Amino acid sequence: MKFLVVDDSATMRRIVINSLQRIGYSDTVEAGDGQEALAKFDSSVKFVITDWNMPNMSGTEFTKVLRSRADGAHVPVLMVTARSVKEDILTAMEAGVNNYIVKPFTPAVLKEKIDALLPAVAA
Amino acid sequence: MTSSRAHEVLYESEATLRLVDHELHELRSSPDQQRLPVLSDLPGILERANSQILSVLSRLREARASLQSSASEKFQATHDKLKQVTSATEDAAINIMDACDRASQMVDELDAIDAAPEPDRIKAAELRGSLRDEIFMMMGALQFQDITTQQLNHTSAVLVEMEQRMLDVAKLFDANGEGLEMEGRAYDDIDDGTFDPNATVTNAEGRQALADEIFTLTKAPAA
Repeated sequence: MKFLVVDDSATMRRIVINSLQRIGYSDTVEAGDGQEALAKFDSSVKFVITDWNMPNMSGTEFTKVLRSRADGAHVPVLMVTARSVKEDILTAMEAGVNNYIVKPFTPAVLKEKIDALLPAVAA
Repeated sequence: MTSSRAHEVLYESEATLRLVDHELHELRSSPDQQRLPVLSDLPGILERANSQILSVLSRLREARASLQSSASEKFQATHDKLKQVTSATEDAAINIMDACDRASQMVDELDAIDAAPEPDRIKAAELRGSLRDEIFMMMGALQFQDITTQQLNHTSAVLVEMEQRMLDVAKLFDANGEGLEMEGRAYDDIDDGTFDPNATVTNAEGRQALADEIFTLTKAPAA
């Protein structure tokens, strides 16, 4: 299963990708912001993990655009972000995010959220 | 006080003082018999000048109070943010060092198992698993770098904003504002969209629980 990992921090992209590898997912593609992510997204991507605060295009803007595309309307989007006030979480939901991880996170939390969304990938 | 209002008050005050100066000059240079009408106008002119100057002083006090209040809050927030950066960096360093100590001890134990006449392969496998966990914990601890980058970007943005406010006040005294522009090149890379002003490494579990609660109570969009 191919993951698209979107974060403007190279450190965070490596941490997320290494965490994915640790829980058994090694097929990944990465992007530094929402615009690059849209350019790299195609139907082979089955799962998106995105940060919120990024230059050029934020994670919520990216998710909204993704949801408007036929090939991105139903792909699971997991947001991994430092933002954690209630209003932000609701905004992410409205943008089309399926679940939410607060930074700093542990691989266990990442696995739990991915597992919860896997049925959607299989469907 | 807005910048345009401040300029207006200063302009009016300057015009009044010029008028006072002009009248005084006229008074000095006119013959004695012509001084009387000018002298009769002088109290009114001086009164007007006094009123304008008092107005300027009042506006300046307002501006100073406003700047003092906002600067105090902003600098306190900036100070707190920098303390958080220091604390997060130190916590991450200690966590990584602790993990290094534990990993080093595990390597010693693996060496001992290897050196034994009949190596305990099961114990060795357990130790290797624990060693991977420690290495991974070290990697995860590096997440502080992303959070502290956001905190420092927020601090930079606050300092730039304060500099801009100081310049606005300085410009009140110099309508042309020559030489008072900010050096924009140093601030090009501070993008408000790239950081969360509330980013923190503290209470991740509590904040995650809040997110989980919201996603549970409010139906998340179906994937």
